[in-house]
Amino acid sequence: MKRPLSRLIRELHRFCLLAAAVACFLTENALALAADRQISGKVVSAEDKNPLPGVTIIVKGKNTVGTATDTDGKFKLEVPEGATLILSYIGYVSQELAVGNQSEFNVELAPDQKQLQEVVVIGYGTQKKGDITSSVASIKREDFVQGTVRDAAQLVQGKVAGLRITTPSGSPTSNTQINLRGINSIEGTANPLILIDGIPGGLNTVAPEDIESVDVLKDGSAAAIYGTRATGGVILITTRKNRGTSRSTIEYSNYVNIQTIARRPELLTGDDYRQKIKEGIAYTDYGGNTDWLSEIMQKPVSHNHNLTFFGGNTTTNLTGSINYRNWEGIFLRSGQNRFTGRADLNHAMFNNKLKTNLQIINRITRSNGAVSPALDDAAYGYAYRQAIIRNPTDRVRTDDGKWQERDGYFYENPVSLLNESNYESSFKEMRMAGSLDYAPIDDLNFKLLVSNVQNSNLEGGSTTFNHTATRLSNQNATAFRNTYANNENLLEFTGNYSKAIGKHRFSLLGGYSWQDATYEAFAANNWDFPTDAYDWNNLGAGGALQKGQAGMSSTKNKWQLAGFFGRLTYSLSDKYLFMASVRREGSSRFGVNNRWGTFPAASIGWRISKENFMGSLGAASDIKLRAGIGVTGTIANNPYMSQISYNFDREEGAFIGGKWVPGFVPARNFNPDLRWEKKEEYNAGVDFGFMKNRINGSIDFYSRKVKDLLYNFPVPVPPYLTGSMFINAGVMQNKGVEVLLNIVPIQTGDFQWNTGFTYSTNRNKLVSLSNEQFQAANDFFDAGYTGEPIQVSTHRVKVGEPIGRFFVWKSVGVDDKGAWLIENKDGEVIPIADATPEDRQYYGNGIPKHIVGWNNNIRYKQFDLAVNMRGAFGFNILNFQSMFYNNPRNKAYNMLKTAYDPIDGKVLNTDLVYVSHYIEKGDYWKVDNVTLGYTLPANTIKGIKNARIFVSGLNLATITGYTGIDPEGVIFTGFSPGNDYRDKYPTTRTFTAGLSVTF
Amino acid sequence: MKNKNITYAILAALLAGAPLYSCTDLDEQVYSEVLGSSYQPTEKDLPAIVAPVYSSLRSLMLGWQGYFDLQEEAADAIITPVRPNGWDDGGTYRRMHQHTWTALQWQPENAWRQAFASITTVNRVLSQIEDGDLPLTNGKDATIAELRAVRAFAYYLLLDNHGNVPIVTDFKDVTLPKQSKRKEVYDFVVKELTESLPNLSENAATTYGQMNKWGAKTLLAKIYLNAQVYTGTPEWAKAIQEADDVIKSGKYVLDANYSDVFTWTNFNSKEIIFAIPYDEIYGTGNQIHMKTLDPLSRSVYPMNAGPWGGNCAVPQFIDTYDAADTRLADTWIMGPQKSAATGAVVITYNKAVPGMDKTASSDGFRIGKYKIKPNATGSLDNDFPFLRYADVLMIKAEALLRTGKAAEAAELVTQVRQRAFKANPEKAKVTAADLAKGSRYNYGYQATDGTITERQGGDDIQFGRFLDELGWEFAAEAHRRQDLIRFGAYETKKWFNHRPQTAQRSLFPIPQNEIDKNPNLKQNLGY
Repeated sequence: MKRPLSRLIRELHRFCLLAAAVACFLTENALALAADRQISGKVVSAEDKNPLPGVTIIVKGKNTVGTATDTDGKFKLEVPEGATLILSYIGYVSQELAVGNQSEFNVELAPDQKQLQEVVVIGYGTQKKGDITSSVASIKREDFVQGTVRDAAQLVQGKVAGLRITTPSGSPTSNTQINLRGINSIEGTANPLILIDGIPGGLNTVAPEDIESVDVLKDGSAAAIYGTRATGGVILITTRKNRGTSRSTIEYSNYVNIQTIARRPELLTGDDYRQKIKEGIAYTDYGGNTDWLSEIMQKPVSHNHNLTFFGGNTTTNLTGSINYRNWEGIFLRSGQNRFTGRADLNHAMFNNKLKTNLQIINRITRSNGAVSPALDDAAYGYAYRQAIIRNPTDRVRTDDGKWQERDGYFYENPVSLLNESNYESSFKEMRMAGSLDYAPIDDLNFKLLVSNVQNSNLEGGSTTFNHTATRLSNQNATAFRNTYANNENLLEFTGNYSKAIGKHRFSLLGGYSWQDATYEAFAANNWDFPTDAYDWNNLGAGGALQKGQAGMSSTKNKWQLAGFFGRLTYSLSDKYLFMASVRREGSSRFGVNNRWGTFPAASIGWRISKENFMGSLGAASDIKLRAGIGVTGTIANNPYMSQISYNFDREEGAFIGGKWVPGFVPARNFNPDLRWEKKEEYNAGVDFGFMKNRINGSIDFYSRKVKDLLYNFPVPVPPYLTGSMFINAGVMQNKGVEVLLNIVPIQTGDFQWNTGFTYSTNRNKLVSLSNEQFQAANDFFDAGYTGEPIQVSTHRVKVGEPIGRFFVWKSVGVDDKGAWLIENKDGEVIPIADATPEDRQYYGNGIPKHIVGWNNNIRYKQFDLAVNMRGAFGFNILNFQSMFYNNPRNKAYNMLKTAYDPIDGKVLNTDLVYVSHYIEKGDYWKVDNVTLGYTLPANTIKGIKNARIFVSGLNLATITGYTGIDPEGVIFTGFSPGNDYRDKYPTTRTFTAGLSVTF
Repeated sequence: MKNKNITYAILAALLAGAPLYSCTDLDEQVYSEVLGSSYQPTEKDLPAIVAPVYSSLRSLMLGWQGYFDLQEEAADAIITPVRPNGWDDGGTYRRMHQHTWTALQWQPENAWRQAFASITTVNRVLSQIEDGDLPLTNGKDATIAELRAVRAFAYYLLLDNHGNVPIVTDFKDVTLPKQSKRKEVYDFVVKELTESLPNLSENAATTYGQMNKWGAKTLLAKIYLNAQVYTGTPEWAKAIQEADDVIKSGKYVLDANYSDVFTWTNFNSKEIIFAIPYDEIYGTGNQIHMKTLDPLSRSVYPMNAGPWGGNCAVPQFIDTYDAADTRLADTWIMGPQKSAATGAVVITYNKAVPGMDKTASSDGFRIGKYKIKPNATGSLDNDFPFLRYADVLMIKAEALLRTGKAAEAAELVTQVRQRAFKANPEKAKVTAADLAKGSRYNYGYQATDGTITERQGGDDIQFGRFLDELGWEFAAEAHRRQDLIRFGAYETKKWFNHRPQTAQRSLFPIPQNEIDKNPNLKQNLGY
């Protein structure tokens, strides 16, 4: 504990210095602008005449002069002569007030019909929330999840019905996993398209602190304008900008957190071993008592700093931000630090007719540690496995300080694994974007957006002479170096015409989009080094190269995507709403015969509350019915899929004519007919707001069907070249309901409670896996893998059934010898030794039926409290931890304390096997994020507009019957959802403290 | 007016950006593959074009749960019992041993896939040659003959294991193939080999690892030897004829030392007629040592890889050996194993194996035939001899024995045995009377304490002694299943934890996945 504490103190110290410096600077500025007249007043709500505390009051044009109302709604402020005040308060209409000669003010702020006025970002533009006719969720900055936030997705975790966001890995380098409305593709990506200010990017492209809003286009009618990339939905991330009124502000925020493993597996200890030996069980006692899990874990202290600057005036302004994050992991020598800088420049000229924007985002992500943190490498996970199975009576080091190694099958000292290898990677990305927006006449504007994104990654890894790779395979130090680079260009040209004529409002959008991306990669490795001092920095020194045992590879590919699109919106009397769009898009990744696809969409809305027959109900509420249909596509993941091409392949080589030659082989079964997957989606919903929006929300029903599903279809050899072929064969269906409900149960001057509730359910079905050409009887495919030494698949995806079902021998008990009894295909109970693969059956599903979120924000005077809870119900998890470590058969490995617990009165005496016993109910309710904040009363510190401190706990408590580490820390996408693999990086519980200051 | 100019200027600027991009040019640029349309192979590419025909044989033969396991684990000499570290793998090895496999069993499916991979590649290359895509000026006939012989080899494997398989020779025919009867497959293989013979190379030295005339003839002899199993009609005379042709050619001899045929430099062997070449760098995939050895054996050779610890000899099979037969020690790793560095004993392999699901890590003798070179990696250099001169002699001997010429047969058997009894030349000698005896194999079900219950013995096997001879000479060479079938023991005898199944097991099932892909396929009898 000594080291983290000192680091914490050092960090705080560093922060204080910085804060003090910034404060000094601003105080001086504020003094220079000292005003000459004192005014005072009181602000109340126009609705109930209650005082409004915390109303921001600034002097127009002089952003640094301002205050906020106190708990009684009162304020005092020194203003210059002839000033105009701007009063703003969340949920109320902002008001401007000319000061004149008056010195005492009583102001009433009118509640905002916010939901309706609010602008929502949609594809290639914005729309007023009231005009939206499709399913779009919009989360603004003030509603974001607070505390330690992994990436952009976690900001809106549990807040968008139907968008499931979880953290499957505790690694500091891992992203959240997200999924919208079920699994909609087999071979293409199921991930949403993520656009950062209109430019494709990722969840980590900008720091969470730098995000203004996150908008999610959920249904097909909204997403279809993005054509082929939009089947997984579209997430539009808008960065913070210095909008509208001029302001000059500096914001600084930071947080520090510590983490612990979410739930620690309880293993047999050294003393337990000795007890078992007394009972006659053949364990080896080396005499010690080592807690191997503690040996490979650290107490991580992570911190995050963010500085944002807004400056300029109404014609020229800028936003700059710098974010630095240093996260450590719970495993020894795992961590990542990240720097993100962004500059956003805006200039308007010719009476705002021409607007330009320049944006540069630069980020550098560095991972330093023992081994690659990549999720699929599971290198930390392997050390974790070794810590679990290692004999607890053994010691870490021998008497002479060397690692205590033992012989055994996949049996390595986990502490040595993490200490005798090194890893480093640095990812650098530079995004440059520029746009010109020109409005030749009032209602017409043209926009040209051009961007270039370049990123590259360089990684290196090595092991030393003392690593087990040398002990076991005489590798004498190993090293590798991998690199890749991407270069992505985007050009979009849009024209937009909007006009209101009497009761008719319409807008027309047309555009062209071009995107190309080039990917290049290179990798090399070597081993048998004369010294292990080089790490990966002198790769040529290794001897394996001369022996022909070093590896080298490189690759390059490029794709292009071109699209033409148009959209028409029409509104009659703000009552009847209509939207139609179409995109015609072509991709180089598809066969010449099917390169282009058309993706239309249409939706209608009816604001029924505006109809006369609604009477007084209509006046107090807003109800909109809407329905839409849209077609989107999915692109194949891999390049070259439609090409008739060959490779020279050493693996396919042979000994011909007295020497070894490479083989010249076709790259794949040729399919020049490869085409888009097409998703057709119907969506019907209602948006509602009652009691002046104190109760508001929406309900959506959707049905999506993906046709021409890309599938690596098993084909017979011959006539085909290889056993599988990419074919557009198959239909997938997802249907579901999403409910969003926001309520403000209590709203008084001092006390406000907002509560939000989301619910979603999805029913998935693989409708078919064939087309006119391919009518195979094989209507299923297997997925998931237990890994050695069980070595069987875990899931089966079958036509007519949902994805996610486990396919397993159903265990019904344990016989007298401690062996499993299973139910065979005829329903009879048989010993597992007699079971055949035909006896496997479907058992449970890894995808939850019901997903619930419940978010609460409570504000009392200067305190705010956020409690976010989440749950998922109606699903199963395959508990690998239990499957591998809850079996006392192999005495060479340690195991869970519960391994000796009898099942059906008998202790297991059988080999590791995949049976349904290990498939557990996964239902859980998680108190995920609790954040308590305190905002300093305005003007407590001169020059500081706003200051807030907070403490936060993440992944605080989970109510579940699941016996593994974390029922949510499980991968649920892909075709083996619910597999809680044993070699994962365990999820963590995080405690955070932080502050934010606005100058 | 001024405003208008600005308007035009800005619009022009906006539009100027667009043409920088080629608007709608979506031709895919291919960097890391060779495009079929733009690549014109020349004669120098021929070896690379032919190579994939052979490369799939590597994983077929010794790949994970490959042909080797298919032939050996279904038979009475080798088992993969569950080791303490797990390795049950869903019971797959137990099912191989007990003949309780189903159409989902991976090993037969693997053999099917790899064999058809070779067949399809042959068809593709033949079609390219026919179309003139491959400009062959000289040696065209020889190349075609070689390709047809390799295809016949792959079909022989299917004939032997699955029996009723589709015969496909036309690459351009993309309709789903029709299934042929085993007899038709037999006729096809014989015809293809016979027709290829005149154009096949007779040069044994330059065709190592490839199909030459002698490989084709030995394969024909082997097929004729099993003709009765395949078609119901024996072809002993033809087997003798083909074997004689190879013997008379004088191209091959028995290597002086038995172990020379299997060592890591066995490409120098004068005995090997057709091998699947392996190389730790160029042709990886010989993992016999990885699967058989316990991890502790790593330090013995020493190896640069940690083996997995799996298969071993059936104790009953070991008991059949004559103690003076040096092939016992040349084939199996037995007793204490010493660290190369320290000389300390790291593990002692014992003959006894309690049962398929109950072993210690040291139970059972390990396969040591393919000698492990010092610092071996996970992939051995040793080539896998599929057809060797001893095969030719033994095929001829068996055909003679079965046609009443036991004395001639005994001479040949003696010839093969001599190098195994160098210290006891007398013991090498086999008489006609010896070959008339039954098998020494103590067939019966083995209890966990090693005793044989439900004893059957081997006395009732006709020419059982000859079957034993085949066992000793060809142990761990993926021979045993075929020999047991020919001698009638495969579906009748009990060994170790194996009892005969009532249904037909001499043919493996047509893989369910293949039936699912091609509805023309009908399942074999008994499944």
